[in-house]
Amino acid sequence: MASSVASLPIGGLRTSQGKQITLRDLLGWSVDHKVIGVQYGITALIFFIIGGTLAMLIRWELLTPALDLMANGSAYNSLFSLHGTVMIFLWIIPMGAAFGNYVVPLQLGAKDMAFPWLNAFAFWMIPPAGFFMLLGWFVGPPEAGWTSYPPLSTMFTPDGQTMWAISLHLLGISSILGAINFIVTIANMRPEGMGWFQMPLFCWAILATSIIIVMATPFLAGALTLLILDRVAGTAFFNPAGGGDVLLWQNIFWFYSHPAVYIMVLPAFGIISEVLSTHSRKPIFGYRMIALSSMAIAVVGFTVWAHHMFTALTPTLRIPFMITSMIIAVPTGIKVFSWLGTIWGGKIRWTSAMLFALGFLSMFVIGGINGVMLGSIPFDLHVHDTYFVVSHLHFVLFGGSVFGLFAGIYHWFPKVTGRMLNERLGKLHFALAYPSFFLTFFPMQIAGILGMPRRVAIYAPELQQWNVLISIASFVLGISTFVLLYNIVISVRSGKIAGANPWRALSMEWATTSPPPATNFIGDPVPYKDPYGYGTKESAAYLDTIEKRFGETEPGAGEKAGQALEVPSGD
Amino acid sequence: MSEIVQSPAPTSHAPARARTKAQVAHENNIKFAVWLYLGSEVVIFAILIGAYAVFRYNNPDIVNEVHANTGVGLVALNTFLLLASSWCMVMGLRSIQMDDKKGLINWIGATAVLGSIFIALQAVEYSALSSEGVLLTPGAEFQNFAAHFYPPTFFHGLHVLVGVVWALRVIWRARGGHYSATNYLGVETFGLYWHFVDVVWIVLFTVIYLW
Repeated sequence: MASSVASLPIGGLRTSQGKQITLRDLLGWSVDHKVIGVQYGITALIFFIIGGTLAMLIRWELLTPALDLMANGSAYNSLFSLHGTVMIFLWIIPMGAAFGNYVVPLQLGAKDMAFPWLNAFAFWMIPPAGFFMLLGWFVGPPEAGWTSYPPLSTMFTPDGQTMWAISLHLLGISSILGAINFIVTIANMRPEGMGWFQMPLFCWAILATSIIIVMATPFLAGALTLLILDRVAGTAFFNPAGGGDVLLWQNIFWFYSHPAVYIMVLPAFGIISEVLSTHSRKPIFGYRMIALSSMAIAVVGFTVWAHHMFTALTPTLRIPFMITSMIIAVPTGIKVFSWLGTIWGGKIRWTSAMLFALGFLSMFVIGGINGVMLGSIPFDLHVHDTYFVVSHLHFVLFGGSVFGLFAGIYHWFPKVTGRMLNERLGKLHFALAYPSFFLTFFPMQIAGILGMPRRVAIYAPELQQWNVLISIASFVLGISTFVLLYNIVISVRSGKIAGANPWRALSMEWATTSPPPATNFIGDPVPYKDPYGYGTKESAAYLDTIEKRFGETEPGAGEKAGQALEVPSGD
Repeated sequence: MSEIVQSPAPTSHAPARARTKAQVAHENNIKFAVWLYLGSEVVIFAILIGAYAVFRYNNPDIVNEVHANTGVGLVALNTFLLLASSWCMVMGLRSIQMDDKKGLINWIGATAVLGSIFIALQAVEYSALSSEGVLLTPGAEFQNFAAHFYPPTFFHGLHVLVGVVWALRVIWRARGGHYSATNYLGVETFGLYWHFVDVVWIVLFTVIYLW
């Protein structure tokens, strides 16, 4: 008992008032990482709605094999180009940064990020950049897909493509500045008593993500610079007629964009590690393996890019890239087994956060398995650029990243606002989203194997039955998002009072009021020795003390205090 | 703020004012961040140099012809000036570490002057090249070479320009008495940047002018 009290945050008082984030904070310049985190989150959600609307239009168009909604193929090209770009660069990546900004300094017991001003600056590049990209709609939107291969992107698409490139340039700079800030914060601002291997796994995930961003995103910047020069200055980097090389773009782009896949999914991995352990009341299984596999992914992620170009690649180069592509499945597999080991035998709480984490686990495994299928050359040559690929990337990015981000919203919303999200609506969200997600994206694999190419508005009529099924399911998926948005809006005003630690979690963001005061902690906090040390009397005593100091959770919301003492009966 | 390292009775001529742990940590953070930033710059330059190298490998005749036409004298002089500026930079940092504020201003001033001459000579070089047909306009004799030559060198030139502005800022702050033997972080980070710009030039010079 004595030791657990000794490890409490010093000086934290129940009377210390949390600082609610107001609308005025959100619309103005603020260097508080908590405000910036929420700014990132809201911006990302707005772009999620825009990208989702574009997706709905795509599915509407594909209800019939002929052109009906869109006037011509070019208009359809713009739809999927902007859908992909908005979802990747303006929803998933900023949403990961939202959690990173809000949670990392709290988990480290720090008062803020290492460079608060830089943090605000990095955020404020995003809304104008996103807006600028969408303005491209009025000068002729980009039509070359989110991958923008030349010569499509240099010779066959209007000026919106240039605006697209400038906008991505700004988003890239923003992301590099943010990543530098995260690396410095995590490396230098850990509190005394928290070594690298006492750090919560979410911080590991953000560290790995940030390392990838600093190493890979400049490649995107380089590629975009060359693309802009080709479009406006008459250079010919990607034009063989002028001494350039079309494949140069593909090589540079994928050298960035394959690691970028991990930029998108690693924050979700981190969220999942937190949620699974906390909501099954059990220590994380294989902490070191999860932490180090993130770093392994960060390194190996740089060696697989050419598997996106198997059909364009010299045959002798295919085999090495096939091998590395198989290898990179290993660290991810280690994580999946560790997560299964974590929930195995745990006292699972069926909270909305947990449901989405489990949804992540099941759907991401499907996405991972079709990733390995695509990594094998003979299969890839058959399904290259078909709906099989579309299915794979949505299983990884929606079933993976987005379900992880949803789990994060349900898990940390009480900390951010001081109120719980409505669990009933959360479960409704899951009940709608999970099956409709599967029915949207799984049939795409069948359509893809049957030969439906991606990025076309007019397809073979015998594929219509699959497309109708996909479209109907996708409309349900689209509607399910509004359940979440409605839940957020009503819960901010009238959700149950969360207290400091509604999930009775051990990591440090819960050892302060919800929402935290402006300086996060009163005095210098001391972390509990193990952020995942659930199920011991010591941790239960620690959690009880936090509850006494910082205020209790309203009955019926969150985790019941009595149940927190789960000493495994066997040992 | 419990860990403030108290300095003994603050006097006006105290040579080294004690800094708090938080300040020291912040300085370390800034240095680390500058290194990370330079790491990402390396990547961007690598792409531009890589794009040139691919072109050089595929079109040796064009490059040899341009090299034969222009020679390497002016650029070699420029390279020497940039290397000398890096030396001035080192001397400037050394001066302030020994609390020689005047030395700092003089040496960083020399750095800025050498950097400015570099930019001016690069402009001279560009105009000489353009008169020989190394132009970006379609149909120019050496348009392909120009498209691969100008982006990396111009991008580097921009970095030198930023460096000169940064040097002027360091001088401005030095004149205001901002730096001392215990507080020279601003000089040091500028030095990291300037040396980086210098090293990149050595690579560019080797790959573009000597190869």
